Amino acid sequence: MNDSHATREVFWNITQAWAMYALLAPTLILAGYGFYRRVRVWKRGLSLDRTDRPAERIRRLIIHALAQRRTTRDASAGIFHTLIYTGFIILTLATTVVFIHQDFGLPIMRGKFYLYFQSFIVDVFGALTLIGILIAAARRLIQKPKKLVFTDEAAMILAVIFLIAVTGFLIEGWRIAATSDPWGHWSPFGYLIARASGPLMSDETLKQSHAAVWWTHTILVFGFIAWAPYTKMAHVAFSPINIYTSSLAPAGASLKHIDFEKAETLGVNSLAAFTWKDLADFDACTECGRCTAFCPANMVGKSLSPRDIILDLQRFMRANAESAFNKIPSDGDGKFPPIIGAVEATSPDALWACTTCGACMEACPVFIEQMPKIVDMRRYLVMEEADFPDTMQEAVTSIESRGHPFRGTPWGRMDWAEGLGVRTIDQAADAEVLLWVGCGGALIERNHKVTRATAQLLEKAGVSFAVLGREEKCTGDPARRIGNEFLFQNLAQENTDKLNRHGIKKIITACPHCFNTFRNEYPHFGGNFEVYHHSQYLARLVDEGKLKPEKKSEKKITFHDPCYLGRHNDEYAAPRRLVKLASRSTVEMKQSREQSFCCGGGGGMSFIEEPPDKRVNQERARQILETDADRVAVGCPFCMTMLEDGINARKGERDVRVIDVAELLWESVSADVKG
Amino acid sequence: MNIVVCIKQILDPEIPARDFRIDSERKEAARGSANLVTNIFCENALETALQFRERAGGRITALSFGLESAEDSLRKALAMKADAAALVINDGHPHPDPLSVARALAAAIGKLGDYDLILVGRESGDWGAGQTGALLAEELRVPCVNFVDHIDATPDGFSLKRQTDTGWEIFAAKPPVVVTITNDEHNVPRVPKTRDVMMSFRQPLTKWTLDDLDLDSAEIRAANSFYEVVDLLIPVKETQCEMVEGESLEAKVDDLARRIREVTSAL
Amino acid sequence: MSDILAILFASTGFDGAAQGVLGEGRRLADTLNRKLHALVIGPQNEQMNSSITPIADRVTAIDQPEFSEYDTEPYLHALLAICNQISPRVVLLANDTYSQEIAPRLAHRLDGSAVGDVTELKFHDDALRVTRSVYGGKAAAIIELKRYPAVVWLRARAFAPAEPRTETIAQVEKFTVDLSGDFRTRIVERKREALGATRLEDAQIIVSGGRGLGGPEPFEELQQLADTLGAQMAASRAACDAGWVPPSWQVGQTGKKVAPGLYIAVAISGASQHLAGISDAKIVAAINIDADAPIFKRCRFGIVEDYRKVVPLLREKLSGTEK
Repeated sequence: MNDSHATREVFWNITQAWAMYALLAPTLILAGYGFYRRVRVWKRGLSLDRTDRPAERIRRLIIHALAQRRTTRDASAGIFHTLIYTGFIILTLATTVVFIHQDFGLPIMRGKFYLYFQSFIVDVFGALTLIGILIAAARRLIQKPKKLVFTDEAAMILAVIFLIAVTGFLIEGWRIAATSDPWGHWSPFGYLIARASGPLMSDETLKQSHAAVWWTHTILVFGFIAWAPYTKMAHVAFSPINIYTSSLAPAGASLKHIDFEKAETLGVNSLAAFTWKDLADFDACTECGRCTAFCPANMVGKSLSPRDIILDLQRFMRANAESAFNKIPSDGDGKFPPIIGAVEATSPDALWACTTCGACMEACPVFIEQMPKIVDMRRYLVMEEADFPDTMQEAVTSIESRGHPFRGTPWGRMDWAEGLGVRTIDQAADAEVLLWVGCGGALIERNHKVTRATAQLLEKAGVSFAVLGREEKCTGDPARRIGNEFLFQNLAQENTDKLNRHGIKKIITACPHCFNTFRNEYPHFGGNFEVYHHSQYLARLVDEGKLKPEKKSEKKITFHDPCYLGRHNDEYAAPRRLVKLASRSTVEMKQSREQSFCCGGGGGMSFIEEPPDKRVNQERARQILETDADRVAVGCPFCMTMLEDGINARKGERDVRVIDVAELLWESVSADVKG
Repeated sequence: MNIVVCIKQILDPEIPARDFRIDSERKEAARGSANLVTNIFCENALETALQFRERAGGRITALSFGLESAEDSLRKALAMKADAAALVINDGHPHPDPLSVARALAAAIGKLGDYDLILVGRESGDWGAGQTGALLAEELRVPCVNFVDHIDATPDGFSLKRQTDTGWEIFAAKPPVVVTITNDEHNVPRVPKTRDVMMSFRQPLTKWTLDDLDLDSAEIRAANSFYEVVDLLIPVKETQCEMVEGESLEAKVDDLARRIREVTSAL
Repeated sequence: MSDILAILFASTGFDGAAQGVLGEGRRLADTLNRKLHALVIGPQNEQMNSSITPIADRVTAIDQPEFSEYDTEPYLHALLAICNQISPRVVLLANDTYSQEIAPRLAHRLDGSAVGDVTELKFHDDALRVTRSVYGGKAAAIIELKRYPAVVWLRARAFAPAEPRTETIAQVEKFTVDLSGDFRTRIVERKREALGATRLEDAQIIVSGGRGLGGPEPFEELQQLADTLGAQMAASRAACDAGWVPPSWQVGQTGKKVAPGLYIAVAISGASQHLAGISDAKIVAAINIDADAPIFKRCRFGIVEDYRKVVPLLREKLSGTEK
C-alpha cells in the first residue's frame, strides 16, 4: 500500500463520540476550578513583582522546566521523571494532532508524518512512559528513599497514569487487530498486542473490548485531567509558573526588606503576611524531598525539614483557606491565625536550627524559596515576641551595644595589625581599596593570621589599601539572619553612610558574610560598592602578575566552599585557583560547589550550643577526613572556627589543619614564611 | 504601687583589657572606642521590677542621674515597658561621689512624688562603690535591704529574698523601702520587642538639671564632699602562662597533674 | 576620740577576714599613735574574745540576746550607738555581706564617709587615702576620704594579721544598746548552706567552673576533683546566673573575692569581672578548650583541651596512683 495514504480512522468503532465531547466541558470546568481554587488563595498574599526581565525568566524556564536540569541531578529520579514527562509531552502532542485532524478538518495525520511520528515515536514514548512509571513505583515501593513522602495520593497517581498508558496500548493493539491495519507494524507495541491477542479473540470480542477500553481510557484521562489540579500533579502547571516567577537575584539576596514605617506585623506568623509567591511556592511543591535530603541540619538529626515546612504549610493553607487570612475575631490585638508551631515543621526548634546555607533552594527543581520563609518566621519570633535562644540573644545584644557579636573577646579591632604598618582610612584617604576586616577577622585570634596574610599580600602586590580600624562595626549579617531586621537596617544605614562619607568605592573582605551583605544587601541603603571576596581579588592580582606564587605545598588539600561565597554568590573558581596555585595535590569532596555541605556556622548558628550528637560541623569534618587530605582550605572566618572545632572533635590521632586561601597564597609567595 | 528603678549608664565593662585606657586628667577611663551600656545590675533591677509588676501591679519609673547620653539607657528601659522615665542631667563632676549621686536621686524622687519601692543595682560595673542604694535610703530616711534577688508583695508590704555569703535571708519590709538588686538566674534582663523599641522613642521623658531640684547644686556639681578620687592608674600585671607539655592527651594531663601537685604540696 | 574602731561579728569567729581587719587596725593605730578599739557584736564568743584582747587596746562586746542573730536595722542601730560613744576617726570592717550593707549607712548617720573593698590604707597628712580596684579590676583608684569618721571595709585577706601582745591583754567591756522603737524591716527566715570546712574566702585550693560546663551535672564531676584535692568549689557568674549552682559559689567582682594558693578554672573564659574576684589568687591554672580565652593571660599554667577529657583523667592521676 502507498505509505502516503497512511492514516487511521479517528473514532473507529466508537459510537456516541459526542459523549466524549460532552464530558470535556465538565472536565475542563472541574480542572479549571481546581487551578482557580489554588490561585485564588495566592491572591490573599502580599503583592510582589516577579514579571521583570522576561527574557531571563524564559531562559530559566527552558533550562529548568523544559530541560529539567535540576530534576536530572538525582539520577534515579531524573530518569523516570524524564521518561514520564517527555512521554506526557509527546502523547499530548499526539492528541493535539488528532484534535487538529479531526475537529479542525486539517488532514495532517497521514502519510510519513503519521507513520514516523504519530505511530512510531508516540508508541515508543508511550512505552517509555510505562517504564518510567514502573521505575517510579519501584522507587516508591521497594527502594523507599527517606526524602519521599509516601501518600496514597502519590500511589494513586502512578496507578492512574499506568492504567492510562496500558489502556492506550490496548486500544491501539485491538484496533490494529480488528482492522488488520496495514501500517500496524509502525506502532511496535500496539502491533505486539495485536499479534498476541488477535488470535485469541473473535472479531466481535475485539470490537467490544476495544470500545470498552476506549471509554475506560477516555474516562481515566478526563478523570485524571479533572482530578490532577487537586493533587500534586498540579505541578505540571504550577512548577513552570513557579520557575518563571522565581527570584532572579542571587541566593544571597533572597531575604525580604521590611519597611518599618508601614509594616503591620514584623516578620511572618500568618499566611496573610506571606507574599503571593510564598503561597504559590507551597502549591508548587512536588514532594520530591530533595530540600530536606540536602539540608545539613536535617542530615545530623535536627528537627528542621524544609520539605515539611513547605508541605505542612501547604496543607494548613488548604485546610484553612478562608480563616487563615482573616483576623481572629476573638483576639483583641487583631492577629491572624498563627503558623509558627501550628504545624510540627514550623516549631521554633526547627526554625532555630537553620544555618541559612541555601542548600534547600539549590536542590529544589521548581525554585521554591524555603530559607527566606524560615527567616521570615524568625523575624516574628525575634522582633514581635523577643523569644529566641539565649545565646543568640547575647550575640544580638552584643552587636547592638558594642558593634560585634563576640562578647568577651579580649581583642580590639586593630590588634591583628600589630607590626604591619597598616594604614587606617584617616591616615590614607587616597587609598584605592578598603580592606574590610570584619568582626571575625579582628576579634577571633585564629583569624588574625588570615587578616595579616591578606594585608601582607596586598602590600606585596603594591595595592594601595586602608582599613576602617576602630570605626569598623558589624555589617549586621548575623543580626539579619537571626531575625532582628531592625538592628540590621540601623547598622546597614550607619555603615553605608560611614563608608560613603569616607568616599569608599572598592571593598575587599575575607568574610563571605560581609561580602554578601555589601554586595547584595547594602545597595538598598545607598551603598553601591565594588565588592570582592579576598580570593577573587588575590586571584586577580596573580593574573596581573603582581603576586608570584613560587612554592607548592606537598600536603594533600581539599577545599570547603563557603555557602555565602559559593551557593549565595556563585563564586567557586577563585578560591580554588588559589588552592591549586599553592598545592600540588588537591582533592574535591563529593559535596562541593553547589552541593557543598555547610560548616554549620551561618544563620547565627555559630552562637548556639548544639547537642553533641547533632553537630553540622562535625559531619562536615567527617566528610573532610574521608578525603584523607592533610589540610582543608576555607575562605570564611566562621568556616575556620566551625571546621577547626569539628575536626578537633573527630580527627583522633591524625593531624589535619584548616587553612585559609590567603594563608595558602602567602605561604606560596613569600620566601620567609614557615609553611 | 509606685516603683522607682534607678539606672546608670556606664562605659562597656567588657571592652578588652588591652583597649582600656585612662584619662589621667579627668581621672576616669578614657572613652576610646568603648560603647555606653546600662549597668547590668540596674538592668537586673529593672527586670525584677517588671516581673514584680506582672505579679502585683504597680507603676514603674526609670530614673537616672547622668550625662545626656543616659537618655539611651532610659529609652531602653521604656522599651522594656517601664511606664515612665526621668533624667537628671549631670553637668558637673564626671564621676560624682556616691553621696552626691544619692542626693541627686533623692531630690529627683522627691519631685516624682510618692513611692513604695525603690530599686537600685547593687553596684556599678565601672566604679563599683556599691553604696548608692544604702546612701539613697539614708537620704530618704527609709530602710534599705541589700543584695535582693526576689520581691513579693505581702499584705503589710514586701517579702524580700536576699543573698548572703552563705545562703539567703528573707526580709519582711514595710514600704517605702530601698532595695539593692543582685544578679540571679531569674532576673536576666528581657530583650525588648522591636515594636516597643520603636515606640520608646515617642514616649515622654522628663529631663531635669541640678538647678531644677531641691538640693545644693554647687555641692553636687563639685561632687567630692564625701570622697575624691585623687589618682587612677592601671596596675602593671603580667603573667606568662605556660601550656602543659605532652604529645598526647595522657601526657599533657600528666604534666598538669604534676604541676598541681607541686603547688598543693607547698600549701 | 580619733581612735581606730574595728567592727567584728561574733558569729563568724576570728577567721582570716577578722584577723586582717584587726591587723590593719593595729597597724593604723600604731602609725597614728592612737588606740585600736575592737567591737564584737553577736553572741558571746570566748574564743574570739581571747584572740582579740591581746591585739586591740580596748575591746567592747555587744552580746544582748537581741543580737544573737544578725538583722540589719538593729545591728545598724547598735553600731551607731557605739560609734557615737567612741567617736572614732576610722571604722574598719571586713567585706562580708553584712559589713558591706551597713558601712555606708553607718557613715551617713555619722556624717562621715565610706569606701569599700579596699586593699591599702595610708594617711596623707590628716586625710585617709585608700586604694581600691575599679573598672572590673582593670584599674586601681586612690581615694581620699573627705568626711570623718571614715568607714572602710577591707578586702580582708589582703591584710596581714597582727602579732598578739604577750604583756597586756585588754579587758572585754560590755555595751548595752537600747533597742526600743520599731524597725520597718526584719529578717523572717534564714538559710545557711551546709558549708564546707572552710569558707570560700579562706579556701586554699579552689576548683571553679564556668559557662563552658553547660549545665549542673558537670559540676558534680568537678566536685569529685575538688574532693580529691581537698578543695572548695566555686563558679563564675555565668554559671550562677544560669542556675546551675547556688549564688554563694559566685566568684568575681560581685561575689566572693578569693585568695587561694591555687585556683583551678575549668571552662571559665576569664572575663575581667571574674578576674577581679581572683586577683589575689597566687596561682591560677586553667582548663579551657578555647585557646583564645582571656583566662590564659592570667594563669600560671594551663591546658587547651575539652574539660570533659581532662577532668576525669586528672582526677585519676591526682587520686594517689603515683607514677
